[in-house]
Amino acid sequence: MSTHFDTDRDLTISRVIKAPRALTWRAFAEPELFAKWWVPAPTTLDVLELSLRPGGAMRTEMRNDGGPPEPHMHACILDVEPLRRLVFTTALQSAWRPAPESAIMITAVLTLEDHSDGTLYSAHVMHRDAAARQVHETLGFADGWGTVAAQLAGLVEGMT
Amino acid sequence: MANNSRALDGVFQALADPTRRAVIMELGKGPATVSQLKKPFRMALPSFLKHLQLLERNRLIRTSKSGRQRTCRLETQTLAAAESWMSQQRAIWEARTDRLEALVTTLQSPESSS
Repeated sequence: MSTHFDTDRDLTISRVIKAPRALTWRAFAEPELFAKWWVPAPTTLDVLELSLRPGGAMRTEMRNDGGPPEPHMHACILDVEPLRRLVFTTALQSAWRPAPESAIMITAVLTLEDHSDGTLYSAHVMHRDAAARQVHETLGFADGWGTVAAQLAGLVEGMT
Repeated sequence: MANNSRALDGVFQALADPTRRAVIMELGKGPATVSQLKKPFRMALPSFLKHLQLLERNRLIRTSKSGRQRTCRLETQTLAAAESWMSQQRAIWEARTDRLEALVTTLQSPESSS
């Protein structure tokens, strides 16, 4: 199934990675590798579950400065074509159970294609516009920069 | 776009510090001189100047010298970019892609990793 790109709510990122597709896929499929790139240091990620099948869970916790684990992501895998494509959403949890109202709901389509220099990685991330506004308000953009800035750091560190 | 996102990363980093946030908030009221901005802080001037330099490097503020006084003002365009939720999301995914690329490239040639 192809996806439609909505300029207002979607973003896409493409990058040629100088490594074979099979190797790149391991960074999605192996929990210990996934944990190494999904969030930026010094935040660390604990991958509790990564079941690459439709309805499977993508469940992670994060730690800041070696502190206690904090909730991070509980997403539902929607589609998997091994070595080629991974689709997941945070609008659902594992086994297709609707997620609680949360600030950020996304569906992400991550694809890998062969490229003469290695692998073409693309991410198509779809956002719910209402969620965008909600986050914006939650972060207190209207309240002045102190609130904004304090929250921004956290946002960049941890969120999906 | 990659450069844009790196610039945004710098902005967030600059805003992650309480002193620099306080400076930004103060400048939100209007331009101010370095000595006016420094007043509420007990740190030494060189340390304070480092904060200002970081803000300037990340284009959050602009400074200009007139006589013996250096005046700082906000770069509102940079702040507006950082304020855009979508820009933040892009910055997050760009940075994530950087890390994916670095990881996989390292796996590809483990002997060249440190």
